[in-house]
Amino acid sequence: MHESFLSFLGENLQLFLTYTGVYNAEPGHFIMIVVGLIFIFLAIKYEFEPMLLIPIGFGILIGNIPFKDAGLQIGLYEQGSVLNILYQGVTSGWYPPLIFLGIGAMTDFSALISNPKLMLIGAAAQFGIFGAYVIALQMGFEPNQAGAIGIIGGADGPTAIFLSSKLAPELMGAIAISAYSYMALVPIIQPPFMKLLTTNRERVIRMKAPRVVSSTEKIMFPIIGLLLTCFLVPSGLPLLGMLFFGNLLKESGVTRRLAETARGPLIDTITILLGITVGASTQATQFLTMNSVKIFALGALSFIIATCAGVLFVKFFNLFLKKDNRINPLIGNAGVSAVPDSARISQIVGSQYDPSNYLLMHAMGPNVAGVIGSAVAAGVLLGFLG
Amino acid sequence: MNRIVKKTGLLLSLALLCAAGAQAQRVTSMRLNEVLVINEDNFVDDYGKRSGWVELFNTSAGTVNIGGCFLTDDRNDPKKYPIPKGDVLTRISPRQHALFWADGIASRGTFHVNFILDPNKENYVAFYDSDGKTLVDEVIIPAGQKTDISYGHRIDGIGEWEYLAKVTPSTNNLTLDTNEKLDNFKLNDAWGIGMTITAMGVVFIGLFILYIIFKQVAKLSIAASRVRAKKAGETVVNNGDISGEVLAAISSALYELNEDVHDIERTVLTIQKVKRNYSPWSSKIYSLREYPRK
Repeated sequence: MHESFLSFLGENLQLFLTYTGVYNAEPGHFIMIVVGLIFIFLAIKYEFEPMLLIPIGFGILIGNIPFKDAGLQIGLYEQGSVLNILYQGVTSGWYPPLIFLGIGAMTDFSALISNPKLMLIGAAAQFGIFGAYVIALQMGFEPNQAGAIGIIGGADGPTAIFLSSKLAPELMGAIAISAYSYMALVPIIQPPFMKLLTTNRERVIRMKAPRVVSSTEKIMFPIIGLLLTCFLVPSGLPLLGMLFFGNLLKESGVTRRLAETARGPLIDTITILLGITVGASTQATQFLTMNSVKIFALGALSFIIATCAGVLFVKFFNLFLKKDNRINPLIGNAGVSAVPDSARISQIVGSQYDPSNYLLMHAMGPNVAGVIGSAVAAGVLLGFLG
Repeated sequence: MNRIVKKTGLLLSLALLCAAGAQAQRVTSMRLNEVLVINEDNFVDDYGKRSGWVELFNTSAGTVNIGGCFLTDDRNDPKKYPIPKGDVLTRISPRQHALFWADGIASRGTFHVNFILDPNKENYVAFYDSDGKTLVDEVIIPAGQKTDISYGHRIDGIGEWEYLAKVTPSTNNLTLDTNEKLDNFKLNDAWGIGMTITAMGVVFIGLFILYIIFKQVAKLSIAASRVRAKKAGETVVNNGDISGEVLAAISSALYELNEDVHDIERTVLTIQKVKRNYSPWSSKIYSLREYPRK
């Protein structure tokens, strides 16, 4: 009796051990945990996109706690588990449009409305998407996968998640992590290329102060923007519809509470859920593949191409503009969207050459145009490859 | 009072329009898709019997409930077979099918209609909305149908009716085992140049049109503000028409700023705008965070 009880205890202990994370761990789990810790470190120490990197970084930790696959509904990929239910917002693609609603409700399109030619810079920067698409095809990815990877160049996390969940769900984790990582790293990626492609004279170009935009124009913008872009690219409707709707809530002046909810509690809630579940989707067994490495390389390339395309387009555009209407090419990088970080980079780099030249407001024009441009590009890719 | 009535009327009309639109996306998305008139050696029903059948197809991307709608083989009696309400199986999933047995014995269940398909003559089959008046789809199946050969759309819900190569009850008439769009891109645009040109063209066109529109809107807005200002008797000042006094004040402020001549003063001449109206530009809470510390 005594012996059998002890052996019972021993067997139970052995069984318990098989359930522990230590027993089920593989080297990949530890690699991913280190990646998650780096994300958290970057967010806290350097404040790189902390509101995204903290949830994603912690999500990576959650997703890489090893466990025995015993049908306990623990993991993100186990149907019916809590994480799996929360992950539905990512796989079904309804988190990104809600994020866009909040972005719309917090975005002031005044800079763009007052100087509408800046919209074209937002369009030019989308070359990053298609540059990466072309390279991804040459690296052996299928067209739908290449499209999903290319959208990283749009520098828009929600758009990247939305499109990859539709075109290549199997690559979504890597694409989302890559997009957010590079968005956080725009202060490091963009300045060298901005400086490389501009001359000293160009960097100190002073742009005309934007005129004051009337409230009627601000109200018209989301309505006309929606009708125009979505009639052209209906597949961009989930993102563009919510973006412009959120903006109308803000600009109409009569839905202040709704606008505040959209840009406050709602976007915060969705950001938390999106970040933590995207992070948790990077389970080492699913994530640590050669494709992920390729996607990270392509993501960096797409950001570089987008930055260069934006800056070079401004230089080209300046050839056709009168001297007093010229645009400072340092705002070209802001076309990659990544609101508002890339606009801030324009301001910071510009102020290194002329501390009294304030480019931030001007850079916000292509910056928000980039959001529209990348959503339109995503719609085109979805229409063609979906 | 009259205004409130007008507003309410307008809102109700809009709501009705929306409701009509919503309805339009539902039952009207159903199509008669495939019909087998002579079933001798083909699909059997739940009772182990063979009879002719009619297949409906939901062409939409949303679930459609066909409960309460009607199937008929008689032009003069659109309500001949009312599809029972309250059966969960009448909720047809997106791009899915519903099969009705034309055995003339409706008591056998929801999917058994009270008419049969006559192999000796032309057959008429129609699907009506729940009002019994709105015709959703109809088909005339020619006489002389062949045994175990079905008549339907080659691709579900699309195109002309024809004799099908395969009998496919409750499944796609044409099985798609490849993605035609992707294959096309792989074949004709292996480098992705075509996609790049097309997509960038669309992005540029979209934003260019937006640019043109808002350029005109800006002109109108400026003109309107000038008219308003003139009416109010104000002087319109262009950027280039700054008065000498203003220039002198700005120059003085710049001089003081550059020479750092301020000591402890209660009043400071400055070019900085001190009192600002609220704008999200100045609200860092909403749009900007501090630049990452090094």
